Amino acid sequence: MRLLVIEDDKDLNRQLAAALTDAGYVVDQAFDGEEGHFLGDTEPYDTIILDIGLPQMDGLSVLEKWRRDGRTMPVIILTARDRWSDKVAGIDAGADDYVAKPFHMEEVIARVRALVRRAAGLASNEITIGDIVLDLRTSKVTKDGLALKLTSLEYRLIAYLMHHKGRIVSRTELIEHLYDQDFDRDSNTIEVFVARLRKKVGAQFIETVRGLGYRVKELEHLEV
Amino acid sequence: MKMMRKLMASTHRISLALRLILVASIWVTLALIVAGFFLVKLFQDAGQKALDDRLDVHMTEILSAIARNPGKPFFAVVGRGEPRFSVPQSGWYWTVRLAEDPDIVLFDSPSLFSDQLNISSLDVNNTLSEDFHLSFKGPAGAQLRALARTVRFERRTSYLIVVAGSTQELGESISAFTNQATIMLVILGLGLILAIFIQVHFGLRPIRTLQRSLLDIRKGQAETINDQMPRELQPLVHELNALVKSNRQIVERARAHVGNLAHALKTPLAVIMNETRSQSDDVTVKVHEQTLLMNEQIKRYLEKARMAAQRRVVGVACPVEPVCKSMAQTMKKIYRDKQIVFELNCNQQIAFRGERQDLQEILGNLLDNACKWCVEKVAVSAQIHGNTEEETFFWQLIVEDDGPGLSTELQQQALKRGKRLDENVPGSGLGLSILADLAEVYGGSIQLDTSRLGGLKVLMFLPMTVVQVTPNP
Repeated sequence: MRLLVIEDDKDLNRQLAAALTDAGYVVDQAFDGEEGHFLGDTEPYDTIILDIGLPQMDGLSVLEKWRRDGRTMPVIILTARDRWSDKVAGIDAGADDYVAKPFHMEEVIARVRALVRRAAGLASNEITIGDIVLDLRTSKVTKDGLALKLTSLEYRLIAYLMHHKGRIVSRTELIEHLYDQDFDRDSNTIEVFVARLRKKVGAQFIETVRGLGYRVKELEHLEV
Repeated sequence: MKMMRKLMASTHRISLALRLILVASIWVTLALIVAGFFLVKLFQDAGQKALDDRLDVHMTEILSAIARNPGKPFFAVVGRGEPRFSVPQSGWYWTVRLAEDPDIVLFDSPSLFSDQLNISSLDVNNTLSEDFHLSFKGPAGAQLRALARTVRFERRTSYLIVVAGSTQELGESISAFTNQATIMLVILGLGLILAIFIQVHFGLRPIRTLQRSLLDIRKGQAETINDQMPRELQPLVHELNALVKSNRQIVERARAHVGNLAHALKTPLAVIMNETRSQSDDVTVKVHEQTLLMNEQIKRYLEKARMAAQRRVVGVACPVEPVCKSMAQTMKKIYRDKQIVFELNCNQQIAFRGERQDLQEILGNLLDNACKWCVEKVAVSAQIHGNTEEETFFWQLIVEDDGPGLSTELQQQALKRGKRLDENVPGSGLGLSILADLAEVYGGSIQLDTSRLGGLKVLMFLPMTVVQVTPNP
């Protein structure tokens, strides 16, 4: 899952990026409104964390511009102006959630998790496919009740596929959502990681759809 | 001096209308009295002049009779112009006497019959050079006006001729005129005072309009005073509108500054809080604790500053129903996982007598609380409370949920500053106590109760005004 943090305070931006990375997300950072708007406009983020008070272009204008241009990714606004009138203005501008400053990192992570889950149309914090269970709160994957040891990239890969279970996910889409913007998109690391992951969760779990991409099947489609 | 000052002080409180009516009435009354006095005096003078002229005509007639028939009785010829000279005690008399000794009567008019005119007060010397007028009582006590003249025919005797006429007629016509003039002047005076009443009422109407406009602003039913006023009041209206506008601007600026301060402080606080949260050495733990404390304090005093700024705002109001609807929509979006059903029952006539932002704050906190705790249902009701004829009247806002609710003890604690009843649900614990503060600022109140839905019921009483007929675009 790839996130964008737009916050002009460098320390806070760094803290957010670090905490979200620890929680298993890939995080891009932007420090002003224009840069943030450009990234949100051109990259497929799973959720964006947007500060309201930004230099060059304020957060609400950035959000309104995205929504006007048809960008529908979930957006959490960070606001120091914590009156309800400010929150309503943010929600009306197209925000999906808000977090008032100062905040605890756990709160932001919980809200990001909820938004990502909601965007994938999932109701619970646990995604179960066959004997594989992904617990979003702990960022742990279990097979038959036993925790799997996954690298952060392997975790991101299986989490993304499980969030979009039943749907074919292209290699490009995986690269876009699993790596940050500086990643070399021509490399064939995805194939390597899929192969490694298959060894841990079972070869049948991730299906290769020739010429299109990968798919994690629903329970009834799994071959036993 | 003290009395004067007291009197002056008490006159300051007399109404403008009363002042104008009082001064104008006194002036009109005095002017009419003086005018009446002069009118009667003029009429009297004119009447007397006419009487004198008539006496002069009769004098000329007697003189010509004497000149034609010196030494002969001539009463037969005199009096054709005035028959009353022949009627006894008619009030019209003449007498011809020797100038050297006025007691010697030469001729008397027949009307004197056996009486004589008592002219003892007359000094003959006065009559030598010119006519002399005198007044005295005649026969039968009638008041007479007389003309006396001394005539000396060449080498003959000097005569003192006195012609007298009754002033009774003159007196009667003067008194009749005085009566009529008094009636007319009283009617005129009453008419003028009525006109003054109408004039003052009409003239002061714009001031009453101005007063109503100001009341409307205070009630929040208008934003500015209508400037369709007489030219004399326009500068005042202009200044008052400027005052209202500047009042709003001051509040807006104060609010903007407070918001900026909040933004400026909260980001560094967030950084410190998150930086110190995962560390466990003593200093960091202490810093973290103090940061949380600072955050609470900042939040509290920012809220106080915002409220202090609001206290000065006059003339704002905001319809309740649209804000309720938009708040419910916002909550649906924020709590979309819960699929909350909102039951809205708002009287469209109600407008909150205060800032829209404050109403949003009140509703936001109430609904947020209700949505946090509800199972699936939140009910919002806004109804008029009490008599709308009174100057300040209230509306009742009720927000209920079907959540677990609060025990009576907890309900009492919940309104205290900074009290958090449950640490598991996000929030600073300021929600309900902020509401209590806001209600207090607006002169309202807040109560907690148990809802018919099973959860908490929050009742707030807030000042209201009636929504104007023209809806906001």
